[in-house]
Amino acid sequence: MADFDVEPGAARDNVLVASESFENFEQMSSSLEEIMSVNAISTAAEIEDDTTTNTQEDITHNQENGSEINEKQEDVENSLDWTNKRKHIFVISTAGKPIYSRYGNEDKLAWLFGVMLGLFRYSRDSIKSIHAGDTTYVFLSKKPLILVAVSKTGECVNQLTLQLNYVFNQIVSMLTLKRLTKIYDEKANYDLRRLLTGVDRLIDHLLDFSENEPAFTLGAIQCLPLAISERDSISKIIKDACSKIRNLVFAILLGNNRLISLVQMKKYHLHPADLHLIFNLVQATESLKYSESWTPLCLPRFDNSGYLYAHVSYLADDCQACLLLLTVEKDVFFPLSEAKQKIVEKLRMGNNLEHINTSLAALEESALATGFPELRHYLYKCKSTVQFYQPALCPPYTKNKVRLIELYKRAHQKMHCPTRPLKLSFERSSDEAVFSWDTKGFELYAVFEPLIDTASAINCVSKLLNWIKKREDKLFHLNAYTF
Amino acid sequence: MASNKKVLLKVIILGDSSVGKTSLMNQYVNRKFSNQYKATIGADFLTKEVTIDDRTVTMQIWDTAGQERFQSLGVAFYRGADCCVLVFDVTAPNTFKSLDSWRDEFLIQAAPREPDNFPFVLLGNKVDLEPRAISAKRAQQWCQAKNNMPYFETSAKEGLNVEQAFLAIAKNALAQQNQSVDLYNEFPDQIKLTNTQKSNGGGDSCAC
Repeated sequence: MADFDVEPGAARDNVLVASESFENFEQMSSSLEEIMSVNAISTAAEIEDDTTTNTQEDITHNQENGSEINEKQEDVENSLDWTNKRKHIFVISTAGKPIYSRYGNEDKLAWLFGVMLGLFRYSRDSIKSIHAGDTTYVFLSKKPLILVAVSKTGECVNQLTLQLNYVFNQIVSMLTLKRLTKIYDEKANYDLRRLLTGVDRLIDHLLDFSENEPAFTLGAIQCLPLAISERDSISKIIKDACSKIRNLVFAILLGNNRLISLVQMKKYHLHPADLHLIFNLVQATESLKYSESWTPLCLPRFDNSGYLYAHVSYLADDCQACLLLLTVEKDVFFPLSEAKQKIVEKLRMGNNLEHINTSLAALEESALATGFPELRHYLYKCKSTVQFYQPALCPPYTKNKVRLIELYKRAHQKMHCPTRPLKLSFERSSDEAVFSWDTKGFELYAVFEPLIDTASAINCVSKLLNWIKKREDKLFHLNAYTF
Repeated sequence: MASNKKVLLKVIILGDSSVGKTSLMNQYVNRKFSNQYKATIGADFLTKEVTIDDRTVTMQIWDTAGQERFQSLGVAFYRGADCCVLVFDVTAPNTFKSLDSWRDEFLIQAAPREPDNFPFVLLGNKVDLEPRAISAKRAQQWCQAKNNMPYFETSAKEGLNVEQAFLAIAKNALAQQNQSVDLYNEFPDQIKLTNTQKSNGGGDSCAC
């Protein structure tokens, strides 16, 4: 179909941990196992002997900050408005105590949490889903918590489970799984909301975020378009500024929900699911813009038993890219703060800030603008690097992005249905035509004008793949830098 | 803890069938009473907000079925309770005799960390009815032997003592909760950047 040997976006070094979006998500692993599995799948990664520096650092957890929970609306719990929400999400302790409800005050819904635990227990903890009319109820047991989705969105059980998994990971990223388990081992009646003050806001944001961004469904990351020399020069500046700092594991530069640069400690890889949580944290926390922050953060796929410590700051008032430096040391704020200053100086001197700003301001072009008039929108995911690209939104989806995302979710489900996965599908409705293609190297989902014929669609897809291939070094983060 | 933090208490109501568990709860939460007997199937859940010493406390009340055929379902709910309310019918001696087994079964299934100090409250219901089979004195003696469990004589029908009893229940449970405030900020969670040592976190995470 398209004339190239390697799929667009593939790279010699994997920047991110490649994995299937559903399957591996069920379990979280420690960084150790993670590293082994990463080495196993990333064929390009060099296999060296295990002589990385061994450091053991006691990390004590900082006091949870005591910011106030925003009081939710009163007495909405019995209203029609509440009942008609398209998707409810609940988190329950195994004792049946409410921990989180997406809508309404969970205290007032305490009875409902009891009913949910009742259903779960009555099935001897084995219930996965209930289908009643247009509503799907999904239960996910993640000891010591139970997560429930009640959805009218038409998403399948797998997709809802994926979203619940993200919610669980968000909670783990604040507490670590070790601590969460220990708390409930010691006190089954513990009211977890004591430790999750402010986290409900992050979960709220995560849910909206995952319903508006294809990144979650694809299990992939989108990069800010930058010339390869530009991205390399940024990565090199970050690497050089941090090379002397012990135990720095990841340096992540992101802007506008796109990855700009990722530099990692040798042998350690960041999982896209962890990166999604980081994107969520940055996007949901306005206060990060105004100061340098220092926060403990557990990345569940990297290591769910402990914290990394993150130095978080925006590059400059005139450059709204956010830099995160993650280390296992709990008291290196000042060295990292100095490193950040150095990075900003060099980026400024090298005009990199300007280039980042230009790209942040320009955003992606629409498919129409790049010479594909019948193509409304598309998602291209390179599997080996778990990165994806999408053009700018265009009508009729600019006002209703969720509808587009749901189209993609349906298409994605068809390609990944556990019982009968498809490889290729072209489906036309009165509103649009959706082309989905799952190959060994990439996944492509393209939304066309409804009247396009099959031959033109295939022709267009072929042209599109060549177009992406030509720009792959700009659209994707290809070269991996390590400390 | 700051006084404005939310508190939620899980309260389990236990006792033989038809002693008035659901009626007590209905009287307390909805201020309603019905003479008609409707057996609880499985369990009922109700929520009531109370204010104790300027704190708003939400009581999540788990009204379990007294009938034996629902027992296996009931016990699955006991874990993580903050207080257990035992109910008997003052006109029915056998409901009083079952109290020991209800209490024992609860302690086995709920497995609280300190079973001796777990807050129970005993309610002798239907004091509006005659003839009386269990005297207040006999019930109090039983309570004394059980670590001075508080005892209330109630009538769900007339609303007698119901409010007071539930207030005592909330206070007891709250006192218990406050004894162990945030022991949980001290765990050293360490990430070991090493390829030679087995991490502790790996094993238990796969059990999920």
